[in-house]
Amino acid sequence: MAAPNSQSPSVRTHFKTPEGRYKLSHEKTHPTSLLHYSHGKTITQVTLAHLKDKPLQTPSTSSSSSSTGGVGARFSAARLLGTGNGSRGLVFGGGNGFSGRLTGGAKSTTVSTGGAGVSNGPLASSYDGEGTFLIFNVGDAIFVSDCNSQDKDPIKCLHFGNANPICHTYDPDAKDGHDLLIGLTSGDVYTASLRQQLQDPGKKLIGAMHYNKDGAINSSRCTSVAWVPHSDGLFVVSHADGNLYIYDKNKDGSGDVPFPPVKDLAQFSVAHARSSKSNPIARWHICQGSINEIAFSPNGMYLAAVGRDGYLRVFEYAKEQLTCGSKSYFGALLCCAWSPDGKYVLTGGEDDLVQVWSMEDQRVVAWGEGHNSWVSAVAFDPYWVAPPSGESGESVTYRFGSVGQDTQLLLWDLAMDEVVVPLRRLGGTLSGSPAFREPGAQSARWESVQPVGILHPAPVRKEVPKLAPIMAHRVHAEPLSSLIFTKESILTACHEGHVKIWDRPGVQGCSPARNSDSADVSSKEKLQPAKSGLSQFKQ
Amino acid sequence: MGSSGSKLEKALGDQFPEGERYFGLENFGNTCYCNSVLQALYFCVPFRDQLLDHASRTKVSGDADDNLLTCLSELFTQINSQKKKTGVIAPKRFIQRVKKQNELFRSYMHQDAHEFLNFLLNELVDILEREATASSKPTSGQVHPDKLANGTANGTANGNHHHSVVTWVHKIFQGTLTNETRCLRCETITARDETFLDLSLDIEQNSSITSCLRNFSSTETLNAEDKFFCDKCCSLQEAQKRMKIKSPPRILALHLKRFKYIEQLGRYKKLSYRVVFPLELKLCNTTDDAPGSEAEYSLFAVVVHVGSGPNHGHYVSLVKSHNHWLFFDDENVEIIDESVVQTFFGSTQEYSNNTDHGYILFYESLEQKH
Repeated sequence: MAAPNSQSPSVRTHFKTPEGRYKLSHEKTHPTSLLHYSHGKTITQVTLAHLKDKPLQTPSTSSSSSSTGGVGARFSAARLLGTGNGSRGLVFGGGNGFSGRLTGGAKSTTVSTGGAGVSNGPLASSYDGEGTFLIFNVGDAIFVSDCNSQDKDPIKCLHFGNANPICHTYDPDAKDGHDLLIGLTSGDVYTASLRQQLQDPGKKLIGAMHYNKDGAINSSRCTSVAWVPHSDGLFVVSHADGNLYIYDKNKDGSGDVPFPPVKDLAQFSVAHARSSKSNPIARWHICQGSINEIAFSPNGMYLAAVGRDGYLRVFEYAKEQLTCGSKSYFGALLCCAWSPDGKYVLTGGEDDLVQVWSMEDQRVVAWGEGHNSWVSAVAFDPYWVAPPSGESGESVTYRFGSVGQDTQLLLWDLAMDEVVVPLRRLGGTLSGSPAFREPGAQSARWESVQPVGILHPAPVRKEVPKLAPIMAHRVHAEPLSSLIFTKESILTACHEGHVKIWDRPGVQGCSPARNSDSADVSSKEKLQPAKSGLSQFKQ
Repeated sequence: MGSSGSKLEKALGDQFPEGERYFGLENFGNTCYCNSVLQALYFCVPFRDQLLDHASRTKVSGDADDNLLTCLSELFTQINSQKKKTGVIAPKRFIQRVKKQNELFRSYMHQDAHEFLNFLLNELVDILEREATASSKPTSGQVHPDKLANGTANGTANGNHHHSVVTWVHKIFQGTLTNETRCLRCETITARDETFLDLSLDIEQNSSITSCLRNFSSTETLNAEDKFFCDKCCSLQEAQKRMKIKSPPRILALHLKRFKYIEQLGRYKKLSYRVVFPLELKLCNTTDDAPGSEAEYSLFAVVVHVGSGPNHGHYVSLVKSHNHWLFFDDENVEIIDESVVQTFFGSTQEYSNNTDHGYILFYESLEQKH
């Protein structure tokens, strides 16, 4: 069976797991004609955005959203960008005028067959309904694709000109319109409303707030951005020089009061803005060299950061304190992710390993060995339901995935007995490591020497329990950069800006055009697991 | 030339390391293979120190027996004692000596930088051994423990097997591999040690140097035509073989086998594969009891092959000196950001505009430094 959009014939369009077969549903990409010369220098990241249902209302409400807090600031920024009221007109025009061809909303997705021209033409849909969108960066542009449409091409393209957007995130709970957060290679940061972009036919970001303009506060590359959970508009931007900044989107972004120079580059330090008006409101100096990724724990209490120096650092965000952390086996760490319950942090990096850090045990509890190159993204599967235990006596508690520069997607199961038992057994041998806290006087003395925040050195190879992947599959022809689990699928993206959507077992493709066909095939597969398994491992 | 020198000085400003010299090397017609390796070796601090030391000793004793060692130590001394901080030097005498010594390098053809590195290190070893045996009493001189009879399997370890003296070249570059063969009939494990001055690694598309090292040490089954003669069974038997690092070297030189003989084509082809290499590395393929198996290495030089084929192209080198990365292209020296190193990993596609690929990597052990 030929995949609809297979970019390389050598990449198989399905892979098998204990729970069944994952199948390539469709792909998202960008028009190659738009490729910028700087294309090779950026790495594509993917953000998933769920726009919640918002019934079509009068223009004024649909644009400025419900909250009043940020409105004034936003429009002032819009004026700075030279779009001001003009763009406002365009927004409404877009919202109402172009609702003809496609009807927005996830359930009634229509297939657009042409698919050649992108974003330049009038926008096809009214984006006042709910929908799921993929946001990804390539070269100097951000592309937005409708996740539920089979159409390969994006529905929106935003060009940034001088600098390239390289990191972005989306806040589904944003109270006012600004839910999209974008960091650039120049250090510049923007927040904007995704819905507003989708309603506008232009190719520029509109109605945006602009922070760290022209790198006034920090001119090094942005490396990662994150909304502070439950904070009503605070967000964090990390940079390639080891600093991260906390901003308040409800404040004007123009206050460029400089922070004092970092005294000791090797030490963690926090500096607060001297004026209550200035934005960013705080700077954290985290490490020497780049911070590569940051991630908040689901409850917002902790912030994890990984970087060039190979350390995972976990901070208690509100207290601005380093809580714990550890070093990679060797080389930089490139990515990190929290488990849905906030108990574990995954890291991946230049040692080709996926490390599992336990917040409870304050140590690395497992090494995932299986990648043949650097690990570029890790994620827990929050929708994974452990199969009922008893059959094998083994209770699987977590499922996570990783993608690497070896073009592979790996899936892992983290079982309680794997984590707990080897550790207890290994306890004795770990005593040589300063990381290991032994009960008694020694521990007390040791703790009195150490500050609250403790960074563990690199683990010794023999002492860490190893995990093997339950599945390894080459999903793209190019090195991978992004991984997202959704309820229905797994999303993978490669450096070059191709995104693939892999349907979970039992999930049918959402395209009406393919549905009849694929439903047939998938039901057959379910009946003959042995056969499909054979073909899977042939080659 | 002069302008590039001052540009470099300007770029470094007051961060210019004291006593350090950054000099380009003149190209005498396709001698970039030589220049790129020389720069990497010049910034291999223990190696440079030995050569400077050697030069000062021969100056005192006055015996100027002209050989590759004296020519190299003279060249390094010349660079090191320049009044200016930057500039260009013509390694004329050294190149002449190389050409005199080895006809392979005599032509103006494009040469292989790795072959040159091999030739140079082995030549230095020979000279040092001759010096040692000549100067010392006949019975003295350290006898090297692992004298080997057999050549290396697959020719993968570029060892030097006949020496009996441990020279400073050995102390810097030499490591030991152990080749374990397990007879599948009697389960007897035969271990055979061999030394190496660098490791040649097979490469794969979209892989890491760690993965290449793992493959280097992966278990191989000897069967069919390629059975193993088991001394215990006194017959040819199926066996499993693997090669692990028993003693890691102080300076780890890794050669990526980018030039591969393609039988169907009847010629060599350059593999432009993307092979990522971290700035810090630990060896994953050491024996369990190897001393220093958890030792961390730090990348300090990369010899880069530029070009799409094996018979033409260019060599440049990247060098880390006092926490700055420098780019050496014959006469030219530039300062580069650490992040530029990753543009030399290779290409994910066979035909790409990027033809600058890391070819020889030099890592320094951080543990044996102090």
